[in-house]
Amino acid sequence: MNHFPEAWGRPRDDIYGSYNPQFLPNSHAQQSGHPTTHTQSPIVTGTSVIAVKYKDGVVIAADNLASYGSLARFTDVHRLKPFNKKAVVGFGGDVSDMQYLDRLLNSLDVKENYSHGHDDAESDKALMSAKNLHTYLSKVMYKRRSDFNPLWNALLVCGLSEDGTPFLASVDLLGTTFSAPTLATGFGAHLAQPILRRVVPDEAASKALDKEAAVAAVKECMKVLFYRDARSMNEYSIAVVDKSGVDLKQKEKLEGQSWAFAEQIKGYGTQTV
Amino acid sequence: MFRNNYDNDSVTFSPQGRIFQVEYAQEAVKQGSVVVGIVSKTHAVLAALKRNAEELSSYQQKIIPIDAHYGLALAGLASDARVLSNFMKQQSLASRLTYDRPIALADITARIGDRAQTNTQQYGKRPYGVGLLIAGVDARGPHLFEFQPSGVTQEMVACGIGARSQMARTYLERHLESFESSSRDELIKHALRAVKESLSQDKELTLDNTSLAVSGVDEPFKLYEGEEVVNFLETTFERREEGDEGQAAGEGMEVDS
Amino acid sequence: MTSIGTGYDLSNSVFSPDGRNFQVEYAVKAVENGGTAIGIRCKDGVVLALEKLVGSKLLKKDANKRIATVDRNMGVVHSGLLPDGRHFVSRARDEAASWRSTYKAPIPVSSLANRMGAYVQAYTLYSSVRPFGITAIIGGWDAETEVDVDGAVGSGPKSGSGGKTEGAKQGGPYLYMIEPSGLYWGYYGAATGKGRQAAKAELEKLKLNPKDGDCISLEEGVKEAARIIYVAHEDSKDKDFELEMTWISAVNGPTKGRHEEVPKELREEAERLAKIALEGEDEEEEGKMEE
Repeated sequence: MNHFPEAWGRPRDDIYGSYNPQFLPNSHAQQSGHPTTHTQSPIVTGTSVIAVKYKDGVVIAADNLASYGSLARFTDVHRLKPFNKKAVVGFGGDVSDMQYLDRLLNSLDVKENYSHGHDDAESDKALMSAKNLHTYLSKVMYKRRSDFNPLWNALLVCGLSEDGTPFLASVDLLGTTFSAPTLATGFGAHLAQPILRRVVPDEAASKALDKEAAVAAVKECMKVLFYRDARSMNEYSIAVVDKSGVDLKQKEKLEGQSWAFAEQIKGYGTQTV
Repeated sequence: MFRNNYDNDSVTFSPQGRIFQVEYAQEAVKQGSVVVGIVSKTHAVLAALKRNAEELSSYQQKIIPIDAHYGLALAGLASDARVLSNFMKQQSLASRLTYDRPIALADITARIGDRAQTNTQQYGKRPYGVGLLIAGVDARGPHLFEFQPSGVTQEMVACGIGARSQMARTYLERHLESFESSSRDELIKHALRAVKESLSQDKELTLDNTSLAVSGVDEPFKLYEGEEVVNFLETTFERREEGDEGQAAGEGMEVDS
Repeated sequence: MTSIGTGYDLSNSVFSPDGRNFQVEYAVKAVENGGTAIGIRCKDGVVLALEKLVGSKLLKKDANKRIATVDRNMGVVHSGLLPDGRHFVSRARDEAASWRSTYKAPIPVSSLANRMGAYVQAYTLYSSVRPFGITAIIGGWDAETEVDVDGAVGSGPKSGSGGKTEGAKQGGPYLYMIEPSGLYWGYYGAATGKGRQAAKAELEKLKLNPKDGDCISLEEGVKEAARIIYVAHEDSKDKDFELEMTWISAVNGPTKGRHEEVPKELREEAERLAKIALEGEDEEEEGKMEE
């Protein structure tokens, strides 16, 4: 490895010879001698987002940490963005791409409110639903990945669909979409998802689940994630979306932690037993 | 001869602040055959009189379905309507593709309104020579919009445009109160009767010259023509032939009167 | 209009020998026939109101909204050619959106007025276009508190960069009116359309200039706006009309800094009072006649 970032991740010159710009389109070849590159990795990142669908709505949570590599760089970063009364988006991955997407959603919201800028039942019906928003975001993400310039995020979009039923779906930096009664991005996909699935194995279980149980399951997962995810923190945001709107709390603290399990962990550091 | 200097293009105001080219374009709408639209709380209906150039030619299309949830009826230059309707189809598909949501009728109407306005403020363009009635159902329920060559668009409860449409409008105004609570069938009858009001003495509505389209809450926009309108005509005008079974209801009427 | 027929009024962007652009003056004529539109800048917000003449019984009631939202905190009401108004609004929305994407913050009302003034003026410069047949009133509320840039995460530094000054007063209610020539001024109370003379006379009676002490409140403004539209309508009494009203308050006010329709109950109450006020005036006049 050398000190030139543009060489990282490429075939080594000393073995394969230097890059042959002859194969580049003319517009590129003369100028740089290298192919155009876009984002290769995220920089400041947020970790997992987790969400559960219950009978009347959806619970979603993400902690307030933005990491710079392994450095806990920013501790008051809110990664749940309420779009309107019906939809919340949770962002994992690159924080500056999240800010870009937030501005994009902001301008979309301004446009949506040109025609119905006031509160009443009629306007609520025409409000953009979580499903509409997820479709839109998945097109944005897919377009960017097809341009080889992905937005380095994993998103959960949750809320209500047009008919008022709970909605939860994900889209990632490749434009892949997926929907399930419980979802988790990042490390949470490995740690939280199995726990959530134990509580909500299928759609039927989701329809039987009440809000309290859903919130409890999510909080439990946030705790487990804090125990084991080294890029997480103990302050988090949690939102509940149902017919009454979005209830977002941005300064929740993990409760009832027990680190007793840490005693059992073997194999690190200087342990001898 | 009186020469009006202010009517040569659509970028010249008259001293009274009028734009004659736009006003003349509105006249083109009155050359088209009549179309009528009505909405109730649950349905939106369009009805139109089709003309044929000559006995052996086909009839001009008057109603164009755009998307599953709405369509339009036109009066005036059909080719201008086709340009606008193609644009509307593209926009409607874009909405479904990007947001998975049927486009709101108010939005699509505003978009063609904006397009039409451009044609009235730039030299070398002409205003569209067509009036449209855009009807259907979106997230906020059934709607009917009128579009004019000037770019004016307005939401109506009922509307009639085209040749002799004043008579249709008079009929609509007379029954205005009853539309909101009308059933699907009643609304269709009102629309057909309103069209009939605008026909000249020697004309009747027949299966050949009648177009009808209905959409409702949970009922996609559907165009009825030919044999499919016979039943509507019969129930509306109560003209079951008495004993004269050999003759099709519609055609018989046209010959008779 | 002595110069009609001299040929200098047939094309936009052409001066007459006495230095007038007739096409712009004719565009003003189009405005003068439109329904009355007014804007009132109050102590704690802005009210926009419109006399919407109802041309046909077949129009859907309360449906065809004409006062447009340009950005969350800003509205536009216009009088004159309706489609030109929509063109204006559409451009204003684009300006507001492009400002946001450049500066990551909402456009100040003064900047929007400036940009739209320039846009409208450009339509008086070329023979290939015609001027706008509208006069537009822009009302808005610029945030008084420091707002986060769009997309900001976290709270950021408490002081330091960005020219933050503790306790500095900024923002507030703003009102501008743009004419077909592109000319615009800031106003305390603005009126245009058919009934503008009567409306202006009424506006001048209101306490709107901060130099005269405390201005009227937003709630009072709503009631005055309704009354003024009713007064302005007196001259075209034979025609039906609908009153359309929107308002913008501070973040701690009733609209939370957003441009919104005045709630139905409040509008109807304002209309009721307007009608009573009008009847009162009629009686006074009758009383005088008898004397």
